[in-house]
Amino acid sequence: MNDLVQNALLNVNIAAILPSLILVCFGMGLLLINVFLPRGTTRHAVWISLIGLAVTGFFVYTGWGNPQYGFNDAVAMDNFAAFFSITFLVCAALTILMSDDYLRREGYPVSEYYPLILFATAGAMWMASGTDMMTIFLGLEVMSISLYVLAGFFRGQVKSNEAGLKYFLLGAFSTGFLLYGMALIYGVSGSTRLTEIGVYLKTHASLLDNPMTLAGLVLLSTGFLFKIAAAPFHMWAPDVYEGAPTPITAFMSAGPKAAAFAAFLRVMEYCFFTLKPEWTAMLWVLAVLTMVVGNVIAIRQTNIKRMLAYSSIAHAGYVLVGMVAANEIGYSGILFYMLAYTFMNIGAFAVLVLAGKKGEDNLTLEGLSGFGFKKPFLGVAMTIFLFSLMGLPPTAGFAGKFYIFAGAIKAGYIWLAVIGVLNSAISLYYYLRVMVYMYFRDPEEDYAWVAMPGAVVVTIIIAIAGVFYLGIMPGEVMELAKQAVF
Amino acid sequence: MISVYHYMSVAAILFALGTFGVLTRRNAIVVFMCIELMLNSVNLTFIALSSHLQNMDGQVFVLFVMTVAAAEAAVGLALMIAFYRNRESIDVDQINMLKW
Amino acid sequence: MTAASLPQFPWLTLLVMLPLAGALLCLLHGNRTVESRWLALATSLAVFGVSLYLFFCHGDGGSGWLRYEDVSWIERYGIRYVLAMDGIALLMVLLTAFLQLAAILLAWRVEEKASYFFALLLLLESGLMGIFLAYDLILFYLFWEIALIPMFFLIAVWGGENRRRAALKFFLYTLAGSLCMLVAMITLYQIHGDQSGTYSFVIGDLLQTKLSSTQEVWLFAGFMAAFIVKSPLVPFHTWLTDALTEAPAAGSLDLTGLLIKTGIYGMIRLAFPLFPNASRDFLPILAVLALFGLFHAAWCAYNEDDIKRLLAYSSISHLGLVVLGLAAWQLTAWEGSILLMVTHGLTTGALFVLVALIRERTGTRSLQELGGLWGQAPYLSAMFLLFSLASLGLPGLANFAGEILVLLGVFQVHPVWAVIAFAGVVFAAAYMLRLVQGTIWGPAKVKRTLPDLTAREWLILLPMAILVVWLGLYPAPFIAPLHGTVAPLLLGGMP
Repeated sequence: MNDLVQNALLNVNIAAILPSLILVCFGMGLLLINVFLPRGTTRHAVWISLIGLAVTGFFVYTGWGNPQYGFNDAVAMDNFAAFFSITFLVCAALTILMSDDYLRREGYPVSEYYPLILFATAGAMWMASGTDMMTIFLGLEVMSISLYVLAGFFRGQVKSNEAGLKYFLLGAFSTGFLLYGMALIYGVSGSTRLTEIGVYLKTHASLLDNPMTLAGLVLLSTGFLFKIAAAPFHMWAPDVYEGAPTPITAFMSAGPKAAAFAAFLRVMEYCFFTLKPEWTAMLWVLAVLTMVVGNVIAIRQTNIKRMLAYSSIAHAGYVLVGMVAANEIGYSGILFYMLAYTFMNIGAFAVLVLAGKKGEDNLTLEGLSGFGFKKPFLGVAMTIFLFSLMGLPPTAGFAGKFYIFAGAIKAGYIWLAVIGVLNSAISLYYYLRVMVYMYFRDPEEDYAWVAMPGAVVVTIIIAIAGVFYLGIMPGEVMELAKQAVF
Repeated sequence: MISVYHYMSVAAILFALGTFGVLTRRNAIVVFMCIELMLNSVNLTFIALSSHLQNMDGQVFVLFVMTVAAAEAAVGLALMIAFYRNRESIDVDQINMLKW
Repeated sequence: MTAASLPQFPWLTLLVMLPLAGALLCLLHGNRTVESRWLALATSLAVFGVSLYLFFCHGDGGSGWLRYEDVSWIERYGIRYVLAMDGIALLMVLLTAFLQLAAILLAWRVEEKASYFFALLLLLESGLMGIFLAYDLILFYLFWEIALIPMFFLIAVWGGENRRRAALKFFLYTLAGSLCMLVAMITLYQIHGDQSGTYSFVIGDLLQTKLSSTQEVWLFAGFMAAFIVKSPLVPFHTWLTDALTEAPAAGSLDLTGLLIKTGIYGMIRLAFPLFPNASRDFLPILAVLALFGLFHAAWCAYNEDDIKRLLAYSSISHLGLVVLGLAAWQLTAWEGSILLMVTHGLTTGALFVLVALIRERTGTRSLQELGGLWGQAPYLSAMFLLFSLASLGLPGLANFAGEILVLLGVFQVHPVWAVIAFAGVVFAAAYMLRLVQGTIWGPAKVKRTLPDLTAREWLILLPMAILVVWLGLYPAPFIAPLHGTVAPLLLGGMP
């Protein structure tokens, strides 16, 4: 027993968890500070959490190219984790920037909101850096529990309550599947560490046909696919996205989704590389299903948040195409795409935040009538984000789709790429419809749009810059993404 | 002799019962209890396997699952109370403002 | 590659970037209509100046190109910023710069959200220049989409009654086509990379790819999906009639004069050279489509009452002839086709301008309600007559040279095609004469005094008229740059 303790202590490597540790410290500190300040003061919380994210980002950045492993190989802060961490941090920072004014407008200027975002981000980082099923599980739960609260944050609004409760029940349900899958895999391989499982499965080839292995793989995938909101496990997403506060919807559809992809990717690549033909075949079907379901149902939506929820399902489908490709360009395409998606999706939601008015989100297509000319800046910004979501050059969305489909073609899945491209064509229809309403419908007279607070404008400008940078000069970031994949 | 398979069978049955309950019951608290049942069946699986494999990892995992489940329960019940205050009901059929 | 190492002034980049800069400046000017108007004019004048300079001072970009610019862009994936200009591109660039100038003058009186209008026009010009100059597949695709977006907005915001439907149709048709092209591009890139070990999107590199015949057919189909929709050949032409009818005057001018030419240009520049065997097999089908389009559109034009729609059909009919010339795969026919592309841009473009002017004055575009304009606005009617005659291919006017070259060339290879096509050209005379008769002759049905051409309108039409006569009488200077360019293309290579 003494040996065990000593062994564990020797394996402590703070550097491996330093960034997320800092983030959690900032979150805790913020909670403490909040106790001493009168309710309703939130500006300090915005600044402190932004500083926290920046400091964390700095440590992630300095750790690039210098992977840190620790805690008996349960945590690996390698380039893969670092790249995803940057995505989460960007996502969190943009969300925080756009939140403050929205919370005030809706009558919830509560500073506990910000630590929750920081905790969710830290959880996402553990998911991306977890190399042990336990770490991944813990990260997933830290992230999810924070998100349950955030989704139901407007406790006086029935919609928000419902979103929170629904997300909680289905999230916990899917966690059950994930855990059962983990338990079965543990039973097969005798370890919870991803690399050991992979080695064990490789050396014991007879296990590959064992129903317990396959059941474990399927259950584990189900858990992740729930979080990713891939069809047919997507049912929760539109409801939760519609009901949750708009900035949280933006956050959920980018950061946590990327985290689930990160963990999914690592588990599949570390543990189940011997079963690659099986799981790529499974994901092939799911990718097609997800793209089609997301795009086709999105066409029928009249609420923009709901439409973007379905569109986000479709985008998960595109990313799954990258996983099916399972080669270097496909995987680095996933990393690139999630970063690109973060910028364009959060940008679109930030515009929506300013399209609403108090108490009433005004997020139907009708509500946007004439928006483009009444608010030229927001109109142009929304147009850019929509073009990026469509995947038109020279935006980030095009570059991302390009890499992912190139990966699929390189791996020989030409039909999958064709289906993906056809799906992009379907998606044009509903994205264009938003523009049609924005520019070609006359606005209702004397409609009072909300003012444009500086922080949200900054969010939008950063997002535009990101969309164009990744779209026009994707080379450098893609180079980093290449270094980040296994 | 009760082997690891007996334990795992019981766990599998419990997991299936929990899943069935989540899908059929209408009261949010009962649904949540069914989810807890699923989690506990996972715990049982882990402990049985841990003892069978003579390996500590499974038991450590169980501790984590229990801790997390407790945190989850706290958040979940709080959400339900908030929902009850607004709707005077915790029937999941009442969660209908947003279409399922 | 010596060209790339020589430091030379990036004229081609200037052609692309000047309008882009102008567009951004216009946008920044927000609601100041007058400034943005002059800004747009100055920009397009500058672009026209540059293109004239390029026309008169033929550079030498090495290896057969007039100009060649090559800068590294996304090195890792072999995506380069390569602009190249040969004789065909030179003519198209010149036409773009010229028509764009006319479009901006035509849009002079647009008051509603004018700065956006001019910004979009300039953005469109930038995209078109890029399409004609790009020599890297990804760069080409980029400009291909950039040209699409402003046209979508031009139709959808400033268009006629059914503008929303027309704009959506335009966007969905053309984008669906170009997405097919994108898949084909990436696949070709992959095949080439696997073969040679160097991954590159530069067209010059991809020419060396060895493809199996199935691969070649599929890839060719992917590229042609985009180009056939854009050209448009007949089964896919309905977006064009709607778009042309609903678009604002300047938009119709750009659409008919330039945008649909990009489809044909794409065939010449990409589809044919990259997949020589598949395209050779496809030629008869292409010819059938072209002839069918020639007749179908002419028939529709003959039965059309709306004069703008009539001209839209006449455009499709003319493009049928252009494509037929390409399908002959013969030097004279190709030169004729390319010349016809240019002259068609001028004549039909001018006719769209005139229709817009007539509509402004009389408030109608229906042949039933028009008539007798000659008595009321003689100069305008004279111009209308001139361009109509040019459009139906009267000897001595612009389209004649192109048409006769196409027919001659086709006759040498497939006499039957040429005979059928000739019948189609005669058909064109029928509907054009009907148009002229219904508009400027007969009793005046609009009982109002109509103002004749203003100074601004003279400024648009007179240069076009001069060019139309010049091209009819002495097309040699415009054919000259084609000589060195077309022959190697026919042999299956690039300059």
